[in-house]
Amino acid sequence: MNTWFKSGSPWVWLSAGGVSISLISVLGLLWLIASKGLSYFWPSELYQFDMLDEHGKQSVVIGEIYDREQIPVSQLAHLNLKLAKDQEVIERLLVKTGNRELVSLDFRWILSTNITKTSKPKDLAVVERRTNGNFYGYIDSLVLDGKPVDTEKLPELLERVEQFQAEIEELQKVDIGAINYQLESLRLKTKSLALKDKLTVSKQKEIDDETQALKEEYQTLEQNLMALRDQISRDHIVMRAMDGQLVTINFEHILQVNFNNQLGFFDKFALFLSQIGGFLMDDPREANTEGGVFPAIFGTVLMVLLMTVIVSPFGVIAAIYLHEYAGKNALTKLLRIAVINLAGVPSIVYGVFGLGFFVYMVGGSLDQLFYPEALPSPTFGTPGVLWSAITLAILTLPVVIVSTEEGLSRIPSAMRHGSLALGATKAETLWRIILPIASPAIMTGIILAIARAAGEVAPLMLVGVVKMAPNLPLDGNFPFLHLDRKFMHLGFHIYDVGFQSPNVEAARPLVYATALLLVTIIVALNMTAVSIRNKLRERYKMLEH
Amino acid sequence: MISVTPKALSADAHKLDLTKLTSEQTALDIKGLNLHYGKKQALQDITMSIPKGQVTAFIGPSGCGKSTLLRCINRMNDLVDGCHISGEINLHGENIYGKHVDIASLRRKVGMVFQRPNPFPKSIYENVVYGLRIAGENNRRVLDDAVEKSLRSAALWNEVKDRLHESALGLSGGQQQRLVIARAVAIEPEVLLLDEPTSALDPISTLTIEELINDLKKQFTVVIVTHNMQQAARVSDQTAFMYMGDLIEYNDTNTLFTTPMKKQTEDYITGRYG
Repeated sequence: MNTWFKSGSPWVWLSAGGVSISLISVLGLLWLIASKGLSYFWPSELYQFDMLDEHGKQSVVIGEIYDREQIPVSQLAHLNLKLAKDQEVIERLLVKTGNRELVSLDFRWILSTNITKTSKPKDLAVVERRTNGNFYGYIDSLVLDGKPVDTEKLPELLERVEQFQAEIEELQKVDIGAINYQLESLRLKTKSLALKDKLTVSKQKEIDDETQALKEEYQTLEQNLMALRDQISRDHIVMRAMDGQLVTINFEHILQVNFNNQLGFFDKFALFLSQIGGFLMDDPREANTEGGVFPAIFGTVLMVLLMTVIVSPFGVIAAIYLHEYAGKNALTKLLRIAVINLAGVPSIVYGVFGLGFFVYMVGGSLDQLFYPEALPSPTFGTPGVLWSAITLAILTLPVVIVSTEEGLSRIPSAMRHGSLALGATKAETLWRIILPIASPAIMTGIILAIARAAGEVAPLMLVGVVKMAPNLPLDGNFPFLHLDRKFMHLGFHIYDVGFQSPNVEAARPLVYATALLLVTIIVALNMTAVSIRNKLRERYKMLEH
Repeated sequence: MISVTPKALSADAHKLDLTKLTSEQTALDIKGLNLHYGKKQALQDITMSIPKGQVTAFIGPSGCGKSTLLRCINRMNDLVDGCHISGEINLHGENIYGKHVDIASLRRKVGMVFQRPNPFPKSIYENVVYGLRIAGENNRRVLDDAVEKSLRSAALWNEVKDRLHESALGLSGGQQQRLVIARAVAIEPEVLLLDEPTSALDPISTLTIEELINDLKKQFTVVIVTHNMQQAARVSDQTAFMYMGDLIEYNDTNTLFTTPMKKQTEDYITGRYG
């Protein structure tokens, strides 16, 4: 035993155990969010339960099984259930029944003892809708232009609707959006000229003419839009719900109709992929509890990239000063300690600072100076993507400074001396020799900064993130990148969907799916940076002496 | 006594009187040089003249100040914290420790090669033209010519001419050291300082570099610091023996190795200490 201790193997086992535990917890976490998140997209079986409750009332429940739970009989004593004597637990099912216009709740719990018959009818359909969630039921009939038609025509009609919807979206978002943007610009131009006392009659006329032209254009577009809307709302589908009621759903609201029980594995897989695609590419619907998260992905990535662009030069310059130029005295030491400690300040404090300093002070002054025409509604004096990026840049600045400094101190002095001995000044040596060699270390700092910034939510809630942003910060209207706009963020989206949504059950899988997506995006951003760093390392690697 | 090569003997024929060099014959004139690292004195009142177009070697035991003295000549000691220097070093009659000396242009006139090869992590080509680019030369043809000329004079051209744009870190240690010499030669300095240039190299690379030093003195004044007395005897025309920060004896190599005037020198070259 003693020799076993002396051999050092217990320490090897201990450290190996530590590594295993860390690995298992990371993989377990990823597995949990991946399985819960991805199963949300897999088309589930549709069930019909024939029920007989304790009062002898018969009913039918149609829906997807969402969850199962074993509950002890003692908790259900008040229900007077007829049970086998030795039965101690009863299974309870959470069924998603949808049909929000008939019952206010999407979900209901049913006791397995009340189920008399479980079946999976092939002709059971789930209708995914733009509003009011899913509808589960049987297709009763199709109504085309007021006349009933054969239900075989359904795919054809759905395709037609999809085309029209795409056109409507294009019209609304791109064309009408651009006109609104131009009208707003003209309004601001008028105000700006008026403020400077340069609004002459001729100029006013010019602007009025332009406004008139835009308004006319708007009218035509709106007419087109109305025509399309009419087209699309022409057809209806009549569905029979679980209690036998007939419900008419306009095609305008329909996204998809699926007969999940008829699908084979490959059909399901195709549907699974298209659902994931929709999640990645679509806008959110129904208070973020349905639809996609594209604006949040876009916002997260754009903000992180902006942050990187801001933090890198500042961090590197600060590190160079600290390491190369600052005198080696107590003040420098104090400064270095202060920088390292900055990394330990809670992020919400940065958020408060960002709101107070950047948004109100800097942003407010910018508005006074450059956007007086828009006041009292603020342009930069309100939370936005620029302020978020700058706040996070300050938050991650210490990381970049510390790694860059470490990289600088690792460079052998032979490199500096070699360059200086050839008649280079200190600045030339830095620029031509030291910085290129230190670039992998700088990239390491940037990688750490990205990892930290992409996961940060708390400060963003103060300086620019919103639940629902009407426009992306990047669009087709000049100047294309709108740094003053608010944006959506995946981290905040998780919080919002999971804790602020009216429909918690429905949102839970979305929380997992969004979390998985956030992790994937951070990993992707990091891998990009890591591969750049490895390229640089390969290029500037020192030969071991 | 150490055996002296025939080459060193032949130098005997036209030996210079090192105490009475004319200003045309002098490359460097060191007068009363003292150097302190903090409170510790590393060089004491060094006075010597280094003749032009010849190879001068500094020998002595470790810590005797020979490398420190070498580094004074291109002011590399300025980079050391707490280093304080008094006295003069005159390059063409101009004190390099004078008030208005531009250190960068001084270092362009006094090139230096270090103990370990220190090529930059760039291509061979970029390593050689580094000093020229720093000096503002960007004409492609001038640079190409300089690369060929310098690599030829560093006896490296034939080995690397087909891979000029590959990384310099792929070369062997001896090749790297010659590349570093080529890099120093490319800016055409007047004096070339070699700080134990072969101490990190194998015997064959050492031989190549020693042959190279013989060629280099046709163009430059060479000052070499070496641990290796045979090397000093083989390559140098003058040798200075230093001990504990003092210049003990300075004479032409042949005389110093055959008939040393001081007891300390004799003890050192016969291997009794050091």
